[in-house]
Amino acid sequence: MELLLPATISGLLMGMIFGLVALGLAIIFGVMNIVNFAHGEFLMVGMYTAFLTATILSVDPLLTLPVAAIIGLLLGLASYYLLVRYLLKGPMLAQLLGTFGLMIFLRYLAMSIFGPDYKNLEHGLLIGKTINWGPVVLSYSRLGTAAISLLAFGIIYWLMNYTRLGAALKATALDVEAASYMGINTERMRGFAWALGGATVGIAGALLTNFYYVFPTVGLLFVMIAFTTVALGGFGSIKGAFIAGLIIGLIIDVGATYVGPHHKLALIYLTYFLVVVLRPQGLFGW
Amino acid sequence: MPASERICFILFVIFCLVFPWITKGSFAQAVMIQFLIFCLYGLGWNLIGGYGGQVALGQAKNVGMSAYTVAVLMVWWDIPFWVSTPLGVIVATIESFILGYFLFRLRGHYFAIATIAVSLVWQQLFINWNLIGGARGVELPLRETPNFLYMQFDSPVYYHYFAFLLVLAAILYMNWFRKSKLGYQLRMINSSEDMAESLGISIHWVKVKAYCITGVFAGLGGAFYTVYYNYIDPFSVMHLELSVMIALMTMIGGAGSMWGPIIGAMILIPLDRYLGAWLGGIGIVGVDFMIYSMMVMIISAYEPKGIWGIIEKARGKR
Repeated sequence: MELLLPATISGLLMGMIFGLVALGLAIIFGVMNIVNFAHGEFLMVGMYTAFLTATILSVDPLLTLPVAAIIGLLLGLASYYLLVRYLLKGPMLAQLLGTFGLMIFLRYLAMSIFGPDYKNLEHGLLIGKTINWGPVVLSYSRLGTAAISLLAFGIIYWLMNYTRLGAALKATALDVEAASYMGINTERMRGFAWALGGATVGIAGALLTNFYYVFPTVGLLFVMIAFTTVALGGFGSIKGAFIAGLIIGLIIDVGATYVGPHHKLALIYLTYFLVVVLRPQGLFGW
Repeated sequence: MPASERICFILFVIFCLVFPWITKGSFAQAVMIQFLIFCLYGLGWNLIGGYGGQVALGQAKNVGMSAYTVAVLMVWWDIPFWVSTPLGVIVATIESFILGYFLFRLRGHYFAIATIAVSLVWQQLFINWNLIGGARGVELPLRETPNFLYMQFDSPVYYHYFAFLLVLAAILYMNWFRKSKLGYQLRMINSSEDMAESLGISIHWVKVKAYCITGVFAGLGGAFYTVYYNYIDPFSVMHLELSVMIALMTMIGGAGSMWGPIIGAMILIPLDRYLGAWLGGIGIVGVDFMIYSMMVMIISAYEPKGIWGIIEKARGKR
């Protein structure tokens, strides 16, 4: 029991970040039925942006959030207008391998610029401080980043459900043709989905830099977690991404205390297989 | 084969036959053999990825299964190449069958992600499996005299011709395959699964069969790789990067056409080796992968049929 409680809490906190990472993937898939394999690399770009901004300008990592969000947004827009727009015309194979190419390009670009080293931030408002609360040791960075993820989720939820923009986005997701008859610029909505996806994952990256190492291949681990999260929550569902993120966080942290940290990844893949075989539409998918 | 392809085929055969006699550099010959190995991998992947349209990013695990079987049998029990290779191919095929049976319940994106997950699991398993060398890999014992049974020769020329024979067999098989019943069924599935189903094609079974044939090709390639390099490790035969490279290569050359993988390998392998040797010398890593990924992005966006598609288009217009 004394292991279970801290693992549960840390799993839930981590789960909020996983949810935020998966959110962009869910939005993009929901709007245009394409899986962005480069999503993990978007996260990596967000992490490097935050890391570099924080070290070069020597500001607190939390202040790098807007920078990472803007860079992520621009990256999403560039990917859509320069690549994905053309991929959508081609067959499935071209769509999958096209974004896969983007993933490899970004990864090796980072590798050739920054080298394969692991880097981490050592100074910051949240870094290195903990609260001891009985058996539970909570770090400020986990708590703070979880709170900001929650806030980001709230904003996106509001945007999608209570604004005209969100309604237009959802209409595009449900039926492109009908949406365009209603006077919605569906092309712009798709670009907007990529911008939103890029910005949210950029924020997630900047948050992760508070307590996680930055390295060029960091994307692969998180993108596999994000795929599992999105498959569990249902491709295209925001509520699903949030709840599935919490579940995945619990599976990873609680599972790791029982089966050992080396098998964390196997747990994620097992979850993925079980979900896609037993309930392919996910918890909240349509 | 249509006349134009027959010309390609004859040129390819002549080129491969005379290559060892017109080049003397051992680096060039090593690149050529690697090109032939990747032709074999790519021709196999093209079956499921190109003709079938299923993005299976796990060709490396078929290669690795067979390569490890051959290496382990040879190191532990001194079993000759000609006995261990069929066993290696059988292991790779059985693995493909079991995985294919379960994974082909999934479609499209779900399937692609699942194959990546499986590849990562295998890769991790082989890196940590100390019984068969773990991350250090397996080294084959060197023999003093050239030995045909264990495929150890003193000149790369023999390896070149053996690899060439394998590729030749693969090309002839693919030429037959694309006109076979399974080939047509697979292309039907690629263009529309629902329509294929309504025509009474058992989609799941056809995909599994094609995936097993893919496993055979990769298994042969893996077995040859083992005896040619005399050394394997999880990074060279089991890694996700190898699967990715095979898929990108085929996509660039032209997925779903017989010459696609060969054209892709012809571009990427020399580029990789020479560029790698040149850039590695001045300490830049990863530029080769950046060039392939640029190529694959351009190809997927503008000409999903690859370079072979461009060639066909140019000929059609003339």
